[in-house]
Amino acid sequence: MSPLEFREAPVLDQREVAPNIFLLRVGGEFHALPGQFFLLRAWGLHPPLSRPMSVFDLSPGSLSFAYAVRGEGTRLLSRLRPGDIVQVLGPLGKGWSRAEGKVALVGGGMGLAPLLFTAKVFGRPLHIFLGFKGEPFLVEEFLPFGEVYVATEKPGYPGAFLGLVTEAFEPRGYAAVYACGPRPMLEALYEKCRAAGVPLHVSLEERLACGIGACFGCTIFTKRGPVRLCREGPVFRADEVFDGARSFRGT
Amino acid sequence: MEPDLSVGLRNWRLASPVIAAAGTFGFGEEYAELYDLAILGAVVTKTLTLCPRAGNPQPRLWETPCGLLNSIGLENPGIDAFCQEILPRVLRLGVPIVVSVFGDDPEEYGELARRIPPNVAALELNLSCPNVPGKSPVLAPTEVAARVAAARASWSGELWVKISPEGDYLGSALAAQDAGADAIVAVNTFRGMAIDLERRAPVFANVMAGLSGPAIKPLSLRIVYELCGVLHIPVIGCGGITSGRDALEFIFAGAHAVQVGTANFLHPLALPRIIREMQEYLRSQGIRNIEEVRGCARKR
Repeated sequence: MSPLEFREAPVLDQREVAPNIFLLRVGGEFHALPGQFFLLRAWGLHPPLSRPMSVFDLSPGSLSFAYAVRGEGTRLLSRLRPGDIVQVLGPLGKGWSRAEGKVALVGGGMGLAPLLFTAKVFGRPLHIFLGFKGEPFLVEEFLPFGEVYVATEKPGYPGAFLGLVTEAFEPRGYAAVYACGPRPMLEALYEKCRAAGVPLHVSLEERLACGIGACFGCTIFTKRGPVRLCREGPVFRADEVFDGARSFRGT
Repeated sequence: MEPDLSVGLRNWRLASPVIAAAGTFGFGEEYAELYDLAILGAVVTKTLTLCPRAGNPQPRLWETPCGLLNSIGLENPGIDAFCQEILPRVLRLGVPIVVSVFGDDPEEYGELARRIPPNVAALELNLSCPNVPGKSPVLAPTEVAARVAAARASWSGELWVKISPEGDYLGSALAAQDAGADAIVAVNTFRGMAIDLERRAPVFANVMAGLSGPAIKPLSLRIVYELCGVLHIPVIGCGGITSGRDALEFIFAGAHAVQVGTANFLHPLALPRIIREMQEYLRSQGIRNIEEVRGCARKR
């Protein structure tokens, strides 16, 4: 596993790529595996916790994150301007590794965040399926790395499938599928992949505090028992987390 | 010359008055990847129970203004797996290890204490976890006394007792002292709750959760101040400390040492920074030894 580092990084640029969706780029030489994440913070005592974010892109000299403004932390991050300092801890968690052959990436909404860097590292043959509720965003970033298919639930986007990405996607023929998005989307995708006998890997999200496995705040139940999402995840084989994992109602 | 931060407890001397609090620092191994833990006075482990516990369902965390509600529910591998698999590694981290335990009744505390090997620095009884379904974190002083006495009977080393800030905390601390505690850790989290307006239901499955973080610091400081006026054993202050100045407030109130928990989540290098800030303050004031200023803010 790559060594963990804490550092203060300058903001290089930030833009709102769609209403409430931001792309933040910070400077420095970073390393990460696809699927890993960082903790970001740019404030004092409140909110108490830092914000976990997947690597959207990593290049020599910069690291970028795509996120939606959901609460106080992301609102504060969205106000950062070039030259402001962000505290960055990472890379955290385990990444996912590419199966041989043709693979598919499936992102639902903001769930596309960990998939660009994944696409870049995985390489072709690669099919990328991106689903949106409304206007698609950040699609152009994916075009260099594979065949990109877009689905949206809102009419009016020529070339896009009208409906859910899970309806547009057929897992047969892929060596493996890698996905991130809302839980119902991932569960629907899992049903399809299981029926087709294709392994599905999912990137999950929970509220987390320390990010390094010390606080047990992000524990989820899996077939192999409770695991820390930040340490043993955030990427899991879907059959470990969706199939037979006991419902988590305390002990 | 660097100011001397070491502090004497009843049976040993801490290299520093800053201790990592239970439940926020795992078993120390994760933070050891980030800095040398030898600068700390001690690391208190995640609380252990006789049997493994899976803990509470998600969500387990909720932010409040300058505070954090948690409902982890004592997820842990159980005392035996800890002693066999984890403790040997943790004892090599170069920092004194304090083992935190939680039991359902006095007998369980006695049994837990029997299973702790003597090479750990201290045993901390968690008498105050607010996140165990069906169990109140608020014990009567007689219940506290029974638990401490049971642990004392099978543990001859340093014994710390972590109390709840609720209920008769003064009576509980005195009862723990009389039953053989070597130090009182004050305080655990305050019970709080949050309601999810979308679901129209409590955020947490267990309804109540433990509130920690800067929001509780004035409350925990007040309790530490009160305790230091009535106890003759050391008090270890805990609750909302995020800076060297915060930690010094507890020392000035009479605490021998402090435990820091939630601050580790605000900043992964919080503990080294707190120690550095304490040293800077003492140096700037010409104070050579932190024990010179313990209790200096107490009204006489």
